[in-house]
Amino acid sequence: MRVRVRYEKTGRIRFISAIDLGRVWERAIRKADLPIAFSEGFTPHPKISFADALPLGYASRGEYAELTFAAPIRLGQAVEAVNAAFPDGLAVLHAVEVAEGEPKLATRLRASCWDVTYPEGGGLSRRGTPLNPLARAVDAVRAAETLPIVRERKGSPITVDLCPAIHQISLRSASVRMTLHHTEPLVRPSQAHLALRGFCPDLPDATLITRVAQGVPVDEGLIEALSGQLVRPYPQPTQPESARHLSDQRVG
Amino acid sequence: MDSAWLLVYPDAYEVGQPNQGIQILYEVLNERPATVAERGFAPWPDMEAVMREEGIPFFSLERHLPMQAFDVVAFSLAAEVGYTNLLNCLDLGGVPLRSADRGAGDPLIVIGGHAAFNPEPLAPFVDVVCAGDGEEFVGELDEVIKAWRRQEWGRERLLREVGRIPGAYIPAWYQPEYLASGELRGTFPRHYGAPYRVPKRTVSDLDSWPYPKRQIVPLTETVHERYSVEIFRGCTRGCRFCQAGMITRPVRERSRETISQMVRSGLKHTGFDEVGLLSLSSADHSDILGLCGDLAREYEGTATSLSLPSTRVDAFNVTLAEELVRNGRRTGLTFAPEAGTERMRKVINKMVSEADMLRTADAAFANGWRHLKLYFMIGLPTETDEDVLGIAELGLKVLRIGRQYGRKNKVTVSVGGFVPKPHTPFQWAAQDTPEELSRKLGLIKRRIAADRSLNLRYHQPEPAVVEGLLARGDRRVAAVVQRAFELGARFEGWDELFDYGAWTRAAAEVGVDVNWFTRRERGEDEVFPWDHLDSGLEKDWLWKDWRDAVDAGAELEDCRWTPCYDCGVCPGLDLQHQTGHLPISSAGTG
Repeated sequence: MRVRVRYEKTGRIRFISAIDLGRVWERAIRKADLPIAFSEGFTPHPKISFADALPLGYASRGEYAELTFAAPIRLGQAVEAVNAAFPDGLAVLHAVEVAEGEPKLATRLRASCWDVTYPEGGGLSRRGTPLNPLARAVDAVRAAETLPIVRERKGSPITVDLCPAIHQISLRSASVRMTLHHTEPLVRPSQAHLALRGFCPDLPDATLITRVAQGVPVDEGLIEALSGQLVRPYPQPTQPESARHLSDQRVG
Repeated sequence: MDSAWLLVYPDAYEVGQPNQGIQILYEVLNERPATVAERGFAPWPDMEAVMREEGIPFFSLERHLPMQAFDVVAFSLAAEVGYTNLLNCLDLGGVPLRSADRGAGDPLIVIGGHAAFNPEPLAPFVDVVCAGDGEEFVGELDEVIKAWRRQEWGRERLLREVGRIPGAYIPAWYQPEYLASGELRGTFPRHYGAPYRVPKRTVSDLDSWPYPKRQIVPLTETVHERYSVEIFRGCTRGCRFCQAGMITRPVRERSRETISQMVRSGLKHTGFDEVGLLSLSSADHSDILGLCGDLAREYEGTATSLSLPSTRVDAFNVTLAEELVRNGRRTGLTFAPEAGTERMRKVINKMVSEADMLRTADAAFANGWRHLKLYFMIGLPTETDEDVLGIAELGLKVLRIGRQYGRKNKVTVSVGGFVPKPHTPFQWAAQDTPEELSRKLGLIKRRIAADRSLNLRYHQPEPAVVEGLLARGDRRVAAVVQRAFELGARFEGWDELFDYGAWTRAAAEVGVDVNWFTRRERGEDEVFPWDHLDSGLEKDWLWKDWRDAVDAGAELEDCRWTPCYDCGVCPGLDLQHQTGHLPISSAGTG
């Protein structure tokens, strides 16, 4: 029996690595006494496969994994038992059984919706005042036709254009919501942050980056992979004029 | 909460987290009403730099409380290499380094663990030392701490009450005196109520202390990811170099039923997939086959593996290993012959013949094991170049056997430098210099250079000098520890961080001759800095065993199955070995 789950990793536990997270999962399954299947071979491993790894320190309400069980389980009870076994900050939010012949999970995980939260104040934003440097930067990124970002690759700097990866970007208060396509090479919110900083040189580091969900990008937002629910961007009150105006003076 | 304990393992989290001492006392204390215990670990240098820059004090893992928020800070010292880290933790915690400078508001600084059997190099920095088992001691200390907080005693009164607890050694109450030659005349009590010798603590019935029951599971990787249960404490194999075996006597076994019960509940609560059956020589548990059989049966088909740190080198070990891998794979099997020739093994009292050893290797490879690891020491008393080369020879012989069963079979020879330790028959021995150890390593390297399938692993010889200085140092060495800490020495156990220069400079600055402590063979009448800490062993017996070793190469049998030879431990404790081995008539008084 194959099961797909969406789970969250929030709070202090976001500082453990993907490898450590795998061990935490395995132990929770054992504590919950669930009949997980093992791989064949010299060193049998429990069959749990994870979708793309979350960068260390990022929070998420949109992590996904696929588990194979050697015997049928009752989903509701299993989720309850695993959640009881998890340390604080980890919880399965949704679980579905995978029918035979269903397409791979990866085909459903085509984009991620992220919330990038900046410190309140600090000359950036006050609730109810959208016209501020961060709002202008978000507008500028949305309006840009190319967003060249310099990144390291195998020790040497290369320039990557972020534009094709950015599906949607919106702002509420000091939080930037961005849906990024799962491109190759993968574009992370940290790179989108660099693009924002190109328009807003005083932009401080984000205080928290949270993956909201993964799924299929559509015009209205993102269709979440397991539930099919729509995750919408923040409603946008900004004026296109200001964005155009600012994009002329962008630096970097 | 009426008392708050901070249990610190002065090394990195990944090393300290699985430590049994910390795990046990953490649970014992937290089960007490109105007592809370949290844990702390030494910050890695990059973390320390940030803490110092930002003014962040040493803090606890659980609730991020600063060290000063605790009533007691108890350090677990498994080895000497944590001493500068201990000072660093205090310094980061804003606690005065020296006991004499602490006031009523400062926490009580306590040390325990194997290295506490010679606490003199740390004497000025700690308030209380507990040598031996901590399970009962911490409860008694906790009562005093609560009274201290309730009745707002001053520091003097607090120490006076702590001093009444059996096994509590308060260094400030003692004064060392030295002879003109530099040798110690003695360490004398200078305070009312201070005993001449402080006895170690011994828990007599391990079944009544079944801890840890709910071992803490790490969220990031540590050196041992398993549920560990001590199957017995103490060892009477009598290896003459082994401090742990000497200071933890007598042998106290946990029953098969208690162990099975602990494992069952421990695995359920932790989710670990490995069980470690711990002790100093686990194959010696009187019911080890039955125990392993029970566990192998119970966890068959669950991908739960059993591991058994064991130093025995005999066919029984292979039988046992077979039982252990019923559920898993055969990868590596480790043996510790410790020395390369039979002569040398007689001196250290590691009784195994070469023929036995080769038979064991044959049995292991024949049963499908592919990789044997062999542990050795160099720098042992009376060692000759022939003994050193014997290590390489033995490794090569085992490799030849392995090759008969598979071309890819491997042998690893791991070599460490011997450091004489207090409370052992070798406490009188001279330690080899780093130059001599390097030369001996060179002999081994050249001998095996031709054979690539024989892996050689070894430690750098310089850290052994510092270990030796701290192991047998007296109170004058404390100044070296403090100066080395000030010069930036940290994490002596980590090759990449070990700073030999800081130590040699520190010793030179405070006028301590390191060689005098490490390279000098001691005479029969020498008074040791740890003589006033009573491990139970008679010094006369240790001396006789030392002379038997070096004069005659005479071996000594295990007193679990041969008559008592009066090492001194049991009569003092009103307790005999608690094992399921067949009782034999004993010359001891029981």
